Amino acid sequence: MKLFTTRLFAVALILVLLPFSCKDITGNEALYPYVPTNVDANAGTWLPVVLTSNNQISVPAPTSTNSAAYLSELASLKDIQSKLTSDQKKTIEYWSVGGVLRWNQIFRKLVAQYNLPPVPNPDGSYPIPDAENPFSNPQFPFSNPPYAARAYSYVSVAIYDALKAAWYYKDLYKTTRPDSPYEVDNGVQALMPKIDLPPYPSEDATMSGAAAEMLKVLFPASVEEITKLAADQRNAALWSGRATSSDITAGLNLGKSVAGFITAAGTGRFRTDGMGAAIGTPAQWKAFENDAIAKGEIPWISLDVPSRPPMLPFFGNVKAWNLTPAQVVSERPLPPPSTSSDQMKQELAEVKRYASGVTREQMAIVHKWADGAGTYTPPGHWNDIAEEFIRDAKLSEVRAARAFALLNMAMHDAAVACWNTKYFYFNPRPTQLDPSIKTTTGIPNFPAYVSGHSTFSASAAAVLSYLFPQGTTGFNSMADEASNSRLYGAIHYRSDCKEGLSLGKRVGGYTVNYAMTDGAN
Amino acid sequence: MTRYLLAVSISIASLCSATAQTITDHLMMPKKDFCTGFMYTHDQWKDYWEGSLKRDNQNIGTLTTTQLMWVGNYGLTDKINLIAMAPYVKTSASGGTLVGLDGIQDLTLAIKYQFAEKELASGKFSAFGVGAFSTPLTNYTPDYLPLSIGLQSTTVAGRVTAAFRLNEGWYASASGSYVWRSNVSLDRPSYYTDGNIYFTNQVWMPNQFTSTYSIGYHKNALQTEINLTQQNTLGGGDIRRQDMPFVSNRMNFLKVGVLGMYYLPKPKNFAVRAQISYTLDGLNVGQSFSVMGGILYTFHFANKENQ
Repeated sequence: MKLFTTRLFAVALILVLLPFSCKDITGNEALYPYVPTNVDANAGTWLPVVLTSNNQISVPAPTSTNSAAYLSELASLKDIQSKLTSDQKKTIEYWSVGGVLRWNQIFRKLVAQYNLPPVPNPDGSYPIPDAENPFSNPQFPFSNPPYAARAYSYVSVAIYDALKAAWYYKDLYKTTRPDSPYEVDNGVQALMPKIDLPPYPSEDATMSGAAAEMLKVLFPASVEEITKLAADQRNAALWSGRATSSDITAGLNLGKSVAGFITAAGTGRFRTDGMGAAIGTPAQWKAFENDAIAKGEIPWISLDVPSRPPMLPFFGNVKAWNLTPAQVVSERPLPPPSTSSDQMKQELAEVKRYASGVTREQMAIVHKWADGAGTYTPPGHWNDIAEEFIRDAKLSEVRAARAFALLNMAMHDAAVACWNTKYFYFNPRPTQLDPSIKTTTGIPNFPAYVSGHSTFSASAAAVLSYLFPQGTTGFNSMADEASNSRLYGAIHYRSDCKEGLSLGKRVGGYTVNYAMTDGAN
Repeated sequence: MTRYLLAVSISIASLCSATAQTITDHLMMPKKDFCTGFMYTHDQWKDYWEGSLKRDNQNIGTLTTTQLMWVGNYGLTDKINLIAMAPYVKTSASGGTLVGLDGIQDLTLAIKYQFAEKELASGKFSAFGVGAFSTPLTNYTPDYLPLSIGLQSTTVAGRVTAAFRLNEGWYASASGSYVWRSNVSLDRPSYYTDGNIYFTNQVWMPNQFTSTYSIGYHKNALQTEINLTQQNTLGGGDIRRQDMPFVSNRMNFLKVGVLGMYYLPKPKNFAVRAQISYTLDGLNVGQSFSVMGGILYTFHFANKENQ
């Protein structure tokens, strides 16, 4: 009897526990394969962003589809397809959702991975991440929001320009190489969505080259992972019957050349945009403080312990995509309320009310939009938002690349304009003026006015509303919510949020103006 | 910065110990006895393990968690006890700018069954099985560690305890528990942990195995004991260098505790209980030192009926 009850107990326990043993995460894969509603066959005529023309980089003519060389490529392809392993099929499946969307996810991952601030030295100083020594402590880069905004924009632009060049050559060589392998030979299976475009040069290989070369410069310590992903994408194009090895070689060379042009030592835009001077020197940081004092204002100080150097104080001088340096200055918002003004007292009192009485719903908003250390940053969040609109609109690879390029150019410009404003006014955070203000998210290590989240979000909403007008109301309400989250979190005054939204909207307008004349409409 | 909370929830389990009949121990409430009371715990740490690296953090300073927990234990029979616990938790950090949180945390319900008992010449061997269930009572955020008041996971645990008590009152016991933990939801749509980015607000929570070993003396109105508790989280990522802790981190610890319990001669049916514990080693948890004190009252329903 005792044995029986023991067993009964054991069985009952197992039955209760079973439902909990299986707990897969749902909703982690937002992407699925689709056939684009329009292949954008004329994208070779759209304006390049960085290249001087879409045929700036030459691509040799392909052999014809009845040449011995091509037939041998087909035979090799069929042989590969007859022996596909389950791992190879998984690689095909992974990339079949669209390379542009996939690469965007990959660089969001890299940003989150590297978005950690350096650890202080024992003497209270901080080491500076070094691109020449990326594997040491501190890791390089620290992909904070300005770094990330710039990185997203360069990778997106490199992919976009490379794809327009690929489209140019697809059209140029369409009589020599009109059909994809699965159209040329019935024995070749199409294991990815069939795209009605000439296969030479391969768009998958083109973007693998452009994306990987840019990412290797931005995240040098992840070279192994990046290289493998790029090779996987090319293999997926080959194994799926979408491209032969000559389609892939031509695309890879084109993509790498585009990234090479952007990153060329001494001449490439990436090397000459002013990022190298964005950190500045302790003497320059001191000058911000002195300027603020000279204006009769309380200067910003770091609230990190130990006190941390300001984040990229000269990022406001980095070259923007669609604003001239003079426009960056002319768009700069008017000064914030003086630190000694009544308005500032009132705004501080409002922050304090949120600090001491934030509701659970408001805290959820704070954490939804915090996008702080260890995350893909606010620009990454807006790429995340854009992803489903691109997917749902079934955009072609080149038009998807355009959407991300426009979005990320605007957010880079927002970062430049916002940082320019922040360090021009050097305005303190609420907790600096009233240390009794405790926050529900970390206080970013740079001046308050204007709010970066507000600027990023409004610029993103402006571009996304242009691209996906049906989503305008939602984009604007998300931008408002992201902006308010900083007030609810007690790390920004209302003026920071309001003026940040306004600045972001204006900055986004410059990219929208560019988009209206880029030949893609 | 660290999951000090998990540490707390584990100690929650061992905190109950009302009349010494807790989830982990080898004692039972007699039939129709109901023991209930409150336990107050003050727990703090300054150093924590960031992964396996022990460090402090001036932007956290000392992290303090206080907890007031209601406990109740009812003897359904001499061999089956029903146990319930619910704590109010409050956190604060002495450094940095992050605000502390407070609120009612998780309800734990457990059934404890003494499935074996053998009288020997020198003493008594006994063995117990416990099925425990816990679930959050409020919608607190788990995504604000180390200042969250809990992890927001619903759990089901199975535990087996074996004990041997000499007639003189000395005893030794060992207890092991496997804890299934449900996934949790965050307020944000994406997160990075353990080398991967996730584009969902759902977080997979690794299960846990916890073992407790104790040696003590229990005779008449006095119980005193020293115990070791090892928690192993079966998966999860480490806190990255200079990152914040995350809800599904691999939170492990080894704690040593000393407890004392005394049934007061007067007023009748009251008992006091005290415990201190210290974290000897850990991963992704704070090196906490905690002090707990509580008072318990036992209702003897059977006796009243008899009277």
